[in-house]
Amino acid sequence: MNHTPTRRPGIAAVMSFETRKLLAQKRTPITLVVAAVIPIIIAIVMNGQARPPKDTLFGRFIHDSGWSMPLLLLGFAGQWLLPLLTSIVAGDIFASEDQHGSWKTILTRSTSRTQLFVGKTFVALGFALVAYVILATSTIVASVVLIGHQPLVGLNGQVIASHDAARLVIESWASVAAPLLGFTCLAIALSVLTRNVAVGIAAPVALGLVMQLVGALGGVELIRPLLLTTPLEAWHGLFADPAFSGPLVVGLVVSAVWCIVSITIAFVVFRRRDYLG
Amino acid sequence: MEQALAVDVQHVVKQFGEVTAVADVSLQVAPGTVYGVLGPNGAGKTTLLRMMFGLIRPDAGTVRLFGRSWADDGPRMLDGVGGFIESPRFYPYLSGRKNLEGLARLDGGVDGDRIDDVLRTVDLADRQRDKVGGYSFGMRQRLGVAASLLRAPELLVLDEPSNGLDPAGIRDMRALIGRLAGEGLTVLLSSHDLHEVEETCDKVTIMRTGSVLYHGSIAELRERAPSSGHRFVTSDDDRAREVAATLPGLRIARSEEGDLLAYGRQDEIDAYVAALVAAGVHLRSLEPDRAPLETLFFLLTEGDAAPEVPA
Repeated sequence: MNHTPTRRPGIAAVMSFETRKLLAQKRTPITLVVAAVIPIIIAIVMNGQARPPKDTLFGRFIHDSGWSMPLLLLGFAGQWLLPLLTSIVAGDIFASEDQHGSWKTILTRSTSRTQLFVGKTFVALGFALVAYVILATSTIVASVVLIGHQPLVGLNGQVIASHDAARLVIESWASVAAPLLGFTCLAIALSVLTRNVAVGIAAPVALGLVMQLVGALGGVELIRPLLLTTPLEAWHGLFADPAFSGPLVVGLVVSAVWCIVSITIAFVVFRRRDYLG
Repeated sequence: MEQALAVDVQHVVKQFGEVTAVADVSLQVAPGTVYGVLGPNGAGKTTLLRMMFGLIRPDAGTVRLFGRSWADDGPRMLDGVGGFIESPRFYPYLSGRKNLEGLARLDGGVDGDRIDDVLRTVDLADRQRDKVGGYSFGMRQRLGVAASLLRAPELLVLDEPSNGLDPAGIRDMRALIGRLAGEGLTVLLSSHDLHEVEETCDKVTIMRTGSVLYHGSIAELRERAPSSGHRFVTSDDDRAREVAATLPGLRIARSEEGDLLAYGRQDEIDAYVAALVAAGVHLRSLEPDRAPLETLFFLLTEGDAAPEVPA
């Protein structure tokens, strides 16, 4: 009996199995459907209101330009929706193995711990990006279809032509991809460290709210740029006159540092851990 | 070239804080053997098996399977090795078949026929499309065996495979192990159940609190077994103890139920019965307490100090 596998499994094998596991759980398609449908409902409801939310960024212009609504919703989503959207899978993908007691099932196959870690991490990041792209696309398309693609009024009162507004709205949504991946990596780290699904999913959202609170305090100018929530607002400079992109660059670097630190900690702990359960 | 040992554990130590779970354990299993690791709960059996599978790392010593080690070969060490630790766990939201397909991917892939084969071997072909969440405990145990067989192993490591099974499940599991052993697999079976090991294995290692008490064949162990105790129910236990004290070589103890237990050779037990009758003590019941092998197992694994049993 020849027992040696002819093919060695790779990261793709882990990703394939993880993707099938995700698709077999109802919450995965439900999350993606919610990401697609909720922005449409919000756009319809807000467009139907006679009095726009004037005290919010771009809120006063939602009836005037279809490019306002995606920016209003981006500001709202950054507060807790984006961290939650990313944590639903990232906070669960490692801790659920502890919950099911299945580490001993998969760690005794032919895949290495490194392959398992990388495969799971890629799937978590991939899901976060897919959910985010669906949310962004649904928001922008629904707003433009419902309201139209009129010119947009910028933060300094300047009028931004429709085609420029479209580009800036897309760039704004694209700019939150980096902190979103930062939150995903943070959720992965919490999932590995705590081995608890509830903590893995809820803690990044709670930490995001705490960071927003800290960022809103006075006298924290040195700390504020280092918070993972600050890059979620870095797109504001794109709509100033003149526009500035310094916060976007800083936000990119800060998000990358959060990603690297979180993943490194998670990887080291995962590789060295004794699995007793 | 000499064939590598299926299992070669050398001076392995594992501590969890102040607790020594495995203390300088060595163990060798030759290919084709059905080998038992026997001991009460907390003996260190599962910790030893976890180290074989790389789930935990030994603090000292080496573990080699077919000559391969984690340090030198990584996950390749498990090529040709299947099994499970404690009760096997699966994803309850996937069917039995989907679970096996996923695990097969993590092994580099097997064809669908192989999955059909192993499902038939463990009698789960009819329930393969059902979600594992709806499986009974016994079905999950059998799915665990199926997952192990997917890799067409040469060494099958099973940790308490009959745990939690009903009598019919235990019978089926032992029959399955026997069938697999008959096909030439090396089987390493960990159990706290002497009968399971006695029925299934050729050789055994008995462990207690992380240490090895006995290595050897079941046949040798039987030869070393003392005569078993006899349980006496008498009309006057105090008088019966006084009578026993007059017979050299006979030991008397009291069971948890309060009965008298007499230990000695068969001729000494015979003499004791005669002496009780002569002393006017009525014998209401007399029966062997445990099988000889069981007596030895309990002598080895219970009490403050385990007796030395030379290997």
